[in-house]
Parts: sequence; structure tokens; C-alpha cells
Amino acid sequence: MPLLEIRNLVVRYGEIEALRGVTIAVEQGQVVTLLGANGAGKSTTLRAISGLAKPASGDILFDGHSIAGLGPEAIVRLGISHVPEGRRVFPGLTVKENIMLGASNRKVGASQISREADAMFDLFPDIRAFSNALGWTLSGGQLQMVAVARGLMAKPRLLLLDEPSLGLAPVIVQAVFRIISQIRKDTTVLLVEQNARMGLSVADHGFVLETGRIVLGGKPDELWGNEAIAAAYLGGHAKTHA
Amino acid sequence: MDLVLQLLFTGIGIGAVYALVALGFVLIFRATNVVNFAQGEFSMVAAYLMVVCVELGLPYWLSFVIALAGMALLGVIFNLGVYYPLRHRTYLPVIIATIGASILLSNSVLAIYGPQPQVLQGWFDTPGIQLGPVYLDSQYLLIIGVTILLVLFNFWFFEKTLLGKKLQATSQDKEMASLLGISVSTMIMITFIYSAVLGGLAGILVAPVLFVSIQMGSTIALKAFAATIIGGFGDVAGAIVGGLALGVIETFGAAYISVPYKDGFAFLVLIAFLVFRPQGIFGERVAEKA
Repeated sequence: MPLLEIRNLVVRYGEIEALRGVTIAVEQGQVVTLLGANGAGKSTTLRAISGLAKPASGDILFDGHSIAGLGPEAIVRLGISHVPEGRRVFPGLTVKENIMLGASNRKVGASQISREADAMFDLFPDIRAFSNALGWTLSGGQLQMVAVARGLMAKPRLLLLDEPSLGLAPVIVQAVFRIISQIRKDTTVLLVEQNARMGLSVADHGFVLETGRIVLGGKPDELWGNEAIAAAYLGGHAKTHA
Repeated sequence: MDLVLQLLFTGIGIGAVYALVALGFVLIFRATNVVNFAQGEFSMVAAYLMVVCVELGLPYWLSFVIALAGMALLGVIFNLGVYYPLRHRTYLPVIIATIGASILLSNSVLAIYGPQPQVLQGWFDTPGIQLGPVYLDSQYLLIIGVTILLVLFNFWFFEKTLLGKKLQATSQDKEMASLLGISVSTMIMITFIYSAVLGGLAGILVAPVLFVSIQMGSTIALKAFAATIIGGFGDVAGAIVGGLALGVIETFGAAYISVPYKDGFAFLVLIAFLVFRPQGIFGERVAEKA
């Protein structure tokens, strides 16, 4: 049984059908990457999983149980942590406070949370020095590190990452992806990326979304091998052999 | 010089009341992005609750506890009845609903208690103490003491506790807070309860100094609202400093310039700030509310 199974998911924003019957499965221990152009429905898929968007029809099964229609507070308590687009680090709280609040889905005491947050800096050494800096003072790369660290504080069984590379310098993108390949040892990851090359480099499985539908799914090699798809969504076939 | 010290004491005392009500304004504004125009009525209702309990012959301290418990309950009802049904709407319907609630509250009290102003005695039997050249009225001492304690409590609560951080997170980004498992509706409920109790406390403390009347809420609220703008809207420290400043200014204005125009000085200062420094003393910390 897959850890996460989405069946025929339809999500509407008013008149607009953002997802028109999406079906994907994420196996325990995998990194699965969702690719697609702007507006294809990648973020909406994650928002539906974490409870921010209500499904119009279809089902979302986590560990075999339907979570469709539950609120975000209930879903994160089940062990699905969503690091949304734009990082959403609380600007008026410090880095450490932001990270500590990531544990709000678990029943643990403040001193335990503080110790866990300190331990989180071992995985993210670049932000350790900014522990007491307010969120709004950080750079994009630092914000991304804080956002991922905060997401991990939920001790999720499934981590949803929305465009972690967006707007970051290439060297920072590489640092972020190094962290993703470390996270995968303990956590299943569903990753949304426009940067197909980076997105597939860490993935066990990939799906391509196009205007609210899955048009292709497979192992990264198979996706690169599909010439039409590679040209349309993965940044051009020629480059893969360059 | 003696008179200056005396006026300063009185001004800080009355300013402390404005500061407490202003704090209630700011906390609700930060949590919901809405100005609660019924904040002053919280003070008025609490003062009447106090009058009722004392007239029933209950001890002063018990009346105080009952009145504050009543305010906590009013905070719950206010949240569920006024804010919660409109929480997904823009700020405008919510603001109008708070104005409606304020009219409902003052007219309900009017219907029950009539238009006659009531008198509430102070907490202490001793009217005050003479400290050198300054006479310290016991009720003003109490007001200042309680305000200092509350400001310390407020700082500790929001800066040192995890719950305080969750409240701040909720006021900065509700959707993100809910993604982390923070119960947004609980956080907003706590904010309303806390603000209602703060407003109520201000009303109970100031009641023995003023008369207890239907209008006392709107007078206090207007001054407190001016205080939040003078301090820097949305800023906790600004609300406290603004409230104290306003109390001192109007007391000195009444003593040296004109007693009948006492209430006018607060608004003159407000207008001056709106013209020359609209962001207030502390400025609006825009980044915190991004």
C-alpha cells in the first residue's frame, strides 16, 4: 500500500478547474517529484493534500485512510508537513522561534522542542549563526533553510516541498538539494519543482502535470527518455546529452 | 514644581487606563486585522458588572473576580457572535459588526440599568497618602500598579512562552500557522478573551475615578484609539507609551490651559500626529505584519 494515494482528484477555484482528475501514488521512503509548467496545478495538488484546498471530488488516502476534507491542523497532526511556496517564514519571529513552532502538531514540552530545534542546526549549519535573527532579515536561501527545518520539526512521515529552488542562486539550490537527499533517509518526500533537472536528480519517481492532469509518470530515466516530454517540460532533450 | 509632580502622577494614572484599552485594540488588530470598535464598551460593561455585584453586597474582591470572569465570557461570545461568522470576509463587514455590537452593548445596559450614572467606590478605604509634596490617590496608585504588572505579564507572555509565540505567528500568517498545526481559531479566541479582560480591567479601575455611565466606554475608547495612533498603530509598546503620553498631556492641558477643553487636547495631539508623524512614535513595523 502506498503511503499517499491520490485518486481522481478534482479541485476548483470558483469556476476554474485547477485539478481535473489527478491520480498519483507515493510509496513509503520514496522521493517523488511533480513537474510541470506554471499554473499546471502542482501547488494546488500540495495544497489539497495538506488541507488548504478542498477537493471537489476524488479522494486522498494517507496510510490507507481518507484525509480529503480534513483541515490543515488535523492533517499535519497525522504526519504530513507542508513547506509551502514562498517559504512563509514568520517575519516577526526569530529563526529559532520559527523552527520551534514547527513542532506545534506534536504534544511535547517547550524545553524538549527547544533542544530539538538546536539539534536541527546540525542539519542546517548555515543558519545556526542566525538563530536569534528575525525572519524578515534573512536572505532567500536562509529563508528556505528555515522553512524546511520548520517543516521537519513536525517529524513528518510525508514532507511536501513546494518549489524549494525558486529564486535561489545555483549554489544555494545545490545546498538545498543536498539537504533533500539527506532528509530522504528518514522521510518520504513529495517535491514540486519547475527546475526539472534538479527535481529529478533526487527523485525515485516523477510525474508531469499539464493543465490539471497527469500526462506522464515514470522513473527519472524514462522521463528523460521521452523525447516529446523532455522537450516540452524538462528543458529540451538536446541538453540532457550535452 | 509640586503641582507638576502632582499632575504627572494623575496624568500617568489616567493614561494607564488608556494604555490598557489601547493594548486591547492592538492585540485584536494584530490577530484579526480589524479594529474592534466595541473595545470601549468592554470597559463600560465591566464597570456595570462591578456595580451590580457590589450592590448585591458581595465583597469587593469577589465582585472583581466575577466581573473579570464575566468579561472573559463576553470575549468568547463576542468572538463567536461577531468575528467568527465573518472571519473569511474582508475587514469592512467585521468592523461594521463591531460597531453594531458596541451599540447593542451600550443600549442593553441602558435598557437594564437606565441612564442614571452610577457610583463605584474605590478598592481601598484609605483615600490616599501624602508623599512629600505629592498626594498619591489610592485608586490612581492601584491603576498604575496593575498596569505595570500587566505590561510585565504581557511582555513575558508574548516573548517568553510558546503560546505567546503561537499567538504572534497566527497574527503574522494565519494560513502558515494552521499548516504547522497551530489552532488558529483557538488563538483568536484567546486574543478576544484577553482583550475583553484587559478592557474590563481598565473599566473597573477607572470607574471610581469617573462616573459609571453608558458613555464612559466610548470616551475611553476614543482616547485609547488616539493613543494607539500616537504610539504607532499595531505596536504594543506604542499603545502603552501613547496611552501614558495622552493621559499626561490632557491632565496638564486641563490644569494650565482649560478644563472644559480637557477632552479636546487628546484629539489636538492626535491631529498633530496624523499631520506630522502619521506612523506614530514608534512607527509601524511593517515587516512584522508582512
